[in-house]
Amino acid sequence: MVMMNDSVLVIGAGLAGLTAAWQTAVSGKKTRLIAKGWGVTHWHAGCVDVLGFYKQQLVSSPVAAIGQLTADYPQHPYALTGIETVAEALAALQALCAEAGYPLHGSLERNWLLPTAVGTLRPTCLAPETMIAGDLRLDTPMLIVGFQHFGDFYAQMAADNLVAQGVLARGVMLDLPELAGRRVLTPVILAQLMEQPAFRAEVGRAVQPHVGEAARVGFPAVLGLQQAMAVKADLEGQLARPIFEIPILPPSVPGMRLHHILWHAIERAGGRVQEGMLVVGAEMEGGQVTAVYTEAAARQRSHRFDQYILATGGLLGGGLVTNFEGGVREVIFDLPVAGPSSRLEWFQQEFVTAMGHPIYRAGLEVDENLQPVAENGRPLYNNLYAAGSTLAHCDVIRERSLEGVALVTGYKVGRLVVGDS
Amino acid sequence: MAKQHIWEAQTEIELGEYRPVELTLDRCIKCNICVSACPVTAVTDLFPGPKYEGPQGGRFRQKRQETPDHSVDYCSGCRVCNMVCPTGVRIAEINARARADIVAQGKQLLLGRLRNNLLARPELLGKVGQPLAPLANVALHGKLGSWLAEKTLGIAQNAPLPSFSRQKFSGWLKGHPTPTNAARKVVYFHGCSTEYYEPRVGKAAVQVLEANGFEVLVPPQNCCGLPLLSNGEFVAARAYHQSNIDHLLDYVKSGYVIVGTSTSCTLTLKEEAPELLDFYSEEAQLLATNTYDMNEFLLLLHDEGELRTDGLRPIPLTLPYHPPCQYRAHRIGRPAVELLDLIPELKIIESHVACCGVAGTYGYKSEKYEIAMAVGRPLFDFIHKTNAPFSVCDSETCRWQITHATNLPSVHPVELLAFAYGYAAEAPLLFLLPY
Repeated sequence: MVMMNDSVLVIGAGLAGLTAAWQTAVSGKKTRLIAKGWGVTHWHAGCVDVLGFYKQQLVSSPVAAIGQLTADYPQHPYALTGIETVAEALAALQALCAEAGYPLHGSLERNWLLPTAVGTLRPTCLAPETMIAGDLRLDTPMLIVGFQHFGDFYAQMAADNLVAQGVLARGVMLDLPELAGRRVLTPVILAQLMEQPAFRAEVGRAVQPHVGEAARVGFPAVLGLQQAMAVKADLEGQLARPIFEIPILPPSVPGMRLHHILWHAIERAGGRVQEGMLVVGAEMEGGQVTAVYTEAAARQRSHRFDQYILATGGLLGGGLVTNFEGGVREVIFDLPVAGPSSRLEWFQQEFVTAMGHPIYRAGLEVDENLQPVAENGRPLYNNLYAAGSTLAHCDVIRERSLEGVALVTGYKVGRLVVGDS
Repeated sequence: MAKQHIWEAQTEIELGEYRPVELTLDRCIKCNICVSACPVTAVTDLFPGPKYEGPQGGRFRQKRQETPDHSVDYCSGCRVCNMVCPTGVRIAEINARARADIVAQGKQLLLGRLRNNLLARPELLGKVGQPLAPLANVALHGKLGSWLAEKTLGIAQNAPLPSFSRQKFSGWLKGHPTPTNAARKVVYFHGCSTEYYEPRVGKAAVQVLEANGFEVLVPPQNCCGLPLLSNGEFVAARAYHQSNIDHLLDYVKSGYVIVGTSTSCTLTLKEEAPELLDFYSEEAQLLATNTYDMNEFLLLLHDEGELRTDGLRPIPLTLPYHPPCQYRAHRIGRPAVELLDLIPELKIIESHVACCGVAGTYGYKSEKYEIAMAVGRPLFDFIHKTNAPFSVCDSETCRWQITHATNLPSVHPVELLAFAYGYAAEAPLLFLLPY
């Protein structure tokens, strides 16, 4: 393939990859993003968790907790990027989403506390406007609505569990004629139905008799894919009170909204996103990556670019794989992986432990420029960067920092590749 | 790997080890991304979705037991599921093989099977119908004929069936002089659509290749067999594929690669026939390794600096382009867009719609016609919105579906390229260019 000058190849379409590609594309770099498929964007809650738990405590102020975290763990991705970059990345995403008519609210000063589909409380930093009325730092009573023919959300279970934690909540499952006759009901189909005024009217009519004393009404997160704000406004108009959505089992409609916004931003800026491209090899020469190969029918396809950004998602995304002997391997470039040295050190004794399991902190060792380094601390390849869950020294699930780490490191790598430091 | 020109066939290949696609179902993590992306599930209740049909249903499919569910027949094979799956489950292929099991178990209704076999043999239809082109077209497209076809066979009355061409591609080729000073040779696989229905695509392909210094060889060849594969008729499909191997392999061994303009034909030779039929003989692999899609081939030529890019005639138009679903299986990106970028003043707007709906013979069937039209609706709306005089698409059945739904002509990218190289355009392009 002809070497493309001033060009960037991003590998991975999670939040880190999409963010990095967005930043390089809008800065004028010829950008291609390849991915074996979609992933985290279609599973996560559609919020940006920056830091939800630290030292087994719920974090109410991310900025304060990050200060502690980076002091205690100087190799954590937030320590490598710095708090200013964290703020910058969040602001950039908020600006993009606001421009797309789908604002994300929140700040590093305080986390939201939102209800989950099982009735627990989850902290998050940025949440879409369609979710924030569910904030549990307010104690106004809520009605939670589910649909009898939609098996992925049980309103009464969520409500009962919230009540057990002192929240004023009631659940109801609606029996809607429009849904009764259908054999297939997925979150996406429901979201498409929600974008039809007639269906919304049916929903509003069915909810109305159950509202009672409730000051706000919660729904499963299916309030439309392209017109979420309009759907919210309509339902609020019908019910005369704020409404909010609660993230449920995948596919995540709010996650897909963010995916679309980032994907559109990349393509609008002249970048190209190509899914279904599985990287099966790479070519390196003289301290540089010279090509990456993807599997095609009957052959491989080469991708030759100036710079390469690896955002393949670590153990979650498949960018890192493990074996029974305890080995952890980075699958594309065979980069050194920092992590437990033996299989016996992967896990704590207790399955559910507040300490977390060491294996989930495994990942790529990078310098402050987010370039994978050798043992001597020098970058292995001078045109290769890494971002997202593939990085070592963070446990994004336990910390509730998945989107934050992805967004911030993806943003930083994007800026670095463009030449902003 | 030795440095080679793209037009030189690889005659020594490392034989790959292949395992049945069903083994990939174990990778399914039930994330539902495939279901969220499936364009058929989005429009009909008759198809519960890729996850249900593929990896989930696959666990219940046993060779000697009755097939658990016939809804797999509603899978259109568009492969959006494969592309978005995060763990590499080959859902579309699992579904295709499940359909073949239904046929093999004799569970397909006789009339349906007869109908499918008729639709699945475009070469046979071509051989019979094309010589009687005007008459056959009236019979096929006339109100009485199409009504009868729906009532007796289940072919949708409004099915976007193509018209037979007055002259076959091979007929035109007979009168076409061989270039005398061609430095290189390449084999052209025309496929049934070019031979019997749209020879103009073949003409454009020959012109573009000749403009790049090739002598185009067109050996005897037969239908690639894809419609048979799509309808679960694996025994017949295997025979067709072996026959093509027999026709073409000597050319490969003599050093020539195979190029095709039909994205479905080239996919079948590259991967679909071997994979669905577990047909991985050395010869099958050799043929696959040396088969290229036209756009893919021209871009690889361009990478070597061997594509003629000077003196191209501008095409001052903004045109909608729809990448056919087969490109997902080719996994080479969207090469037509990069290629058409070389034509001065031509602006391409890419469709991001999943599927035109027709999915080969799927949209011709009376029980699936409405589903196909619903799946393709966003594409038809997109094309209308561009206000362009015609659309561009590499797959023949897509073109016929798009024209049927939009009332606008549709051309293959190679036709635009031939015009850019200075060749006279043919209808419909002839009447649509600004000069």
